[in-house]
Amino acid sequence: MRPEFYILSWNDLLVSLVFIAFSVFLIKKWKLGLEQTLLIGTLRTFVQLTAMGYVLTWFFDQQHWAFMLSLLFIMIVIASYEGTRRQKKDIPHFFSAMFVSLLGAAILILGTILLFILDVKPWYSPYAAIPIGGMIIGNGLNSTSLTANRFLGELKHREKEIETLLALGASPKQAVYDAMKESIHAALIPNINAMMTVGLVQLPGVMTGQILAGIDPIIAVRYQIMIMYMWFTTATMANMIMLAIVYRQFFTDKLQLKRELLRDKA
Amino acid sequence: MQADQIFQFKNVSLNVGELSILNELNFSVNKGEFLAVLGASGAGKSSLLRMFNALSSPSSGQIHFRNKPIDIDIQCLRKNVGILFQNPAVFSGSIKENLMIAGRWNHNIAQILDHELISALEQVGLKDIKLKQNAKDLSGGEQQRLALACALLNKPQVLLLDEPTSNLDPKLSRSIMNLVNKLRKNLDLTIIAVSHDHVLMRKYANRVILLSQGQLVGDGTFKALDAKQAFKKAGLLEHEDHDAT
Repeated sequence: MRPEFYILSWNDLLVSLVFIAFSVFLIKKWKLGLEQTLLIGTLRTFVQLTAMGYVLTWFFDQQHWAFMLSLLFIMIVIASYEGTRRQKKDIPHFFSAMFVSLLGAAILILGTILLFILDVKPWYSPYAAIPIGGMIIGNGLNSTSLTANRFLGELKHREKEIETLLALGASPKQAVYDAMKESIHAALIPNINAMMTVGLVQLPGVMTGQILAGIDPIIAVRYQIMIMYMWFTTATMANMIMLAIVYRQFFTDKLQLKRELLRDKA
Repeated sequence: MQADQIFQFKNVSLNVGELSILNELNFSVNKGEFLAVLGASGAGKSSLLRMFNALSSPSSGQIHFRNKPIDIDIQCLRKNVGILFQNPAVFSGSIKENLMIAGRWNHNIAQILDHELISALEQVGLKDIKLKQNAKDLSGGEQQRLALACALLNKPQVLLLDEPTSNLDPKLSRSIMNLVNKLRKNLDLTIIAVSHDHVLMRKYANRVILLSQGQLVGDGTFKALDAKQAFKKAGLLEHEDHDAT
């Protein structure tokens, strides 16, 4: 039996506002004081995503490799800026580290998917490159931001250990190896947990969206499996590239820990 | 330049921002010396000590190790110049894992056998400790000795001590310092110890460098500096009462 395709009209969408009304009711009852923030969020979700829909429609009409590469480049620049902005403490050259790590992950993973897995023709078809590229960059951004914050925390926590290792003759990379390992480990746990429980506890968004849009669940599942693998590899790769650049910023060329970078500003 | 000089400091200054920590230091350290670097709190002692194994670099001036600039091969320098920190880092895991930590990059240490590790522990007075024991369970004094054993596995020529006894009671302090002195003789080590406790140091050190507000205000034997009342000038007289002990 062919799956049905449920079209969501503007009127249907209007009905979904009942969820917001219900939330406002609960928030008022508990006197949480979040009504205004929620209403702004509701409006922004509508405006931003509607605008994005029209923008994507225009993007999908563009069939040129230069356009696609420029778009991915802009997405990576924005993600790198956002990642830098999210850092609680300045890390020297963090924008460059983010940019290189996201670019590296995007080239290798998106390239593999477009050319060898989905065999998209032409490879720059926006229908494949934009959503998959967006997922890779978004996932890379979230994961590297978490890892960088954790890494900085590990450096502060392990300052004495790191100096002891340096004093015993370790290189900076050897001295921060445990801190890097712990940071990547912590960032990858959510991805591993998602791989362990996917399909058992939750149905992932992409798969749910595809099924609702009328795609055969078996095909939707295959996409989801590919995406799960892609997410994990993106996180692993982007984190490793980012940390390989970032850890060096904490050492001088004389293999000394820049302790001043670990101090909280007064 | 004398052949037995192991370190030479020439016009060494250290500034942090606009703050002057060390100012135009000129001195040398001879092989086999037990050199005490003394001074009141904030005199710049620990900052100076970190320069001996290039954990910090001077803002200006030059430091030579065995007649060569200290930063020619920093990893090699650090294997030759061990340091025992005031509060030594103890790593998660067993005593053996702590002792072997430098084996990650030092092939010689990676090949050390268990009985050699036990000898290394005995050398620092840790006789009844098992290699499998959790290192974090050791007492403060034992952790100090474990850190010393780790540093000695690199077979250093120089051992730096950063306030080695500041967290220990007087009996344990003397025990650690007796051990260090014994190791100096047995292993032909040069010892450079930073301390604010000149009373304890005068029992072991054969030379003193006295710092006051980043300036070198005395260099010589305790006897010579006593004659010049240098300790009084450097603000260290509060310990005089203990001289008789």
